[in-house]
Amino acid sequence: MTLSVLLILLGSIVVVAGVVLWLLLRSPKSAKSAKSNPINDLSKQAEVDVEHIFNDDFREELRNRGRLHFEKIIGENAMFLQQDLRLTTSQLNDFMKNEVTRVLKEEFAKYEESINDAKQLAIDSIQKTQDTIEQQRELLSAQLTEQMTAEKSRTMARFEGRMADVVNHYVLEAVGDQIDLSEQLDFILSQLEMNKEAIMRDIKDGA
Amino acid sequence: MENKLTLSLPISVVSPTDVARLVREVDNLDEFFRQSEIRYGGTLQSPPRYSRLLDELVVTNKMNLLQKDDRVGLLTMLHELAKSAPILHISFSVDPPGPYVQKIVGWLRQNIHESILVRVGLQPNIGAGCVVRTSNKSFDFSLRRFFDSKHDFFMEKLHEVVSPEFDEQPAVKEEVAIVADEQPVGVALA
Repeated sequence: MTLSVLLILLGSIVVVAGVVLWLLLRSPKSAKSAKSNPINDLSKQAEVDVEHIFNDDFREELRNRGRLHFEKIIGENAMFLQQDLRLTTSQLNDFMKNEVTRVLKEEFAKYEESINDAKQLAIDSIQKTQDTIEQQRELLSAQLTEQMTAEKSRTMARFEGRMADVVNHYVLEAVGDQIDLSEQLDFILSQLEMNKEAIMRDIKDGA
Repeated sequence: MENKLTLSLPISVVSPTDVARLVREVDNLDEFFRQSEIRYGGTLQSPPRYSRLLDELVVTNKMNLLQKDDRVGLLTMLHELAKSAPILHISFSVDPPGPYVQKIVGWLRQNIHESILVRVGLQPNIGAGCVVRTSNKSFDFSLRRFFDSKHDFFMEKLHEVVSPEFDEQPAVKEEVAIVADEQPVGVALA
């Protein structure tokens, strides 16, 4: 019983709701269709009159005006373009100058650095050469001193070894013509007397 | 050997060259007498001349060269002398005169050997004195040898002259050198 009541109530609610929705959806469409008629008329009238307003003269006038306006705009743009071009050229010149100057400075810096490196290299090489020459000079000086000392010692030894010949030569040069042979007889006989036994022994043994 | 002992040499016979010359003269004389014996009588002959050496030798040994035995004996003794006589070689700085050498030879024959012979040589670099050379030894009696024995003395004097003290005072060194030059040789060497 209860269930059937509920189903009846639910059915009635659905019917009421459907009616309300139909009414709501039908009312605006009917209003719009009622107002569209005057606008359509005006549009059709405007399409008819436009052929009277935009005739050939008016079109030519508009074309001339457009041409002039286009030429004006073109001229203004050309002037602006020229100015921009000049400015760009000036900036480009400045840029090129700066770039060239910068590149040249860098190249000159590198060149100067290379020159300095080469100069330092040459200085080092010269310094090494000077050091080597100095070492060679000291070595040669030492060798020369050593050889001179050795030669001096050798000469002195030879001089001392031949001292008797030197003195003998000097005496002969000085008083050689004054030495009388007869005055030497006693000396010779005395020397023979001193070596008498040796001479006799040698004669006896060697005979 | 016995003949050698009986032959007395005069001091004028000095060297083996003299002995060889005497041998040649005696040989020529003996040859002359031999030829005279086989020649006919009355043939002219020129006798060989005596040298002073041969004359002194004959007189000294009391010989008569007319006698064949004496000639043969003398020749034999001279040959023996040339072979066996001891020979000394004495060098002088200058060529000595004959009497000078004869004095030395006389002393040698009195003190060393009665028939000793001497060859005389020349060595100008010895200065003074002589150099005696036997068959095995050499005896240097020269001035050079004397200076050589004074080597230490010369070196001492040399080092005094060239010492550093003298180098610092050249004027004094020069003065000493001049005085040394003016001194006699005997004083300087003493």
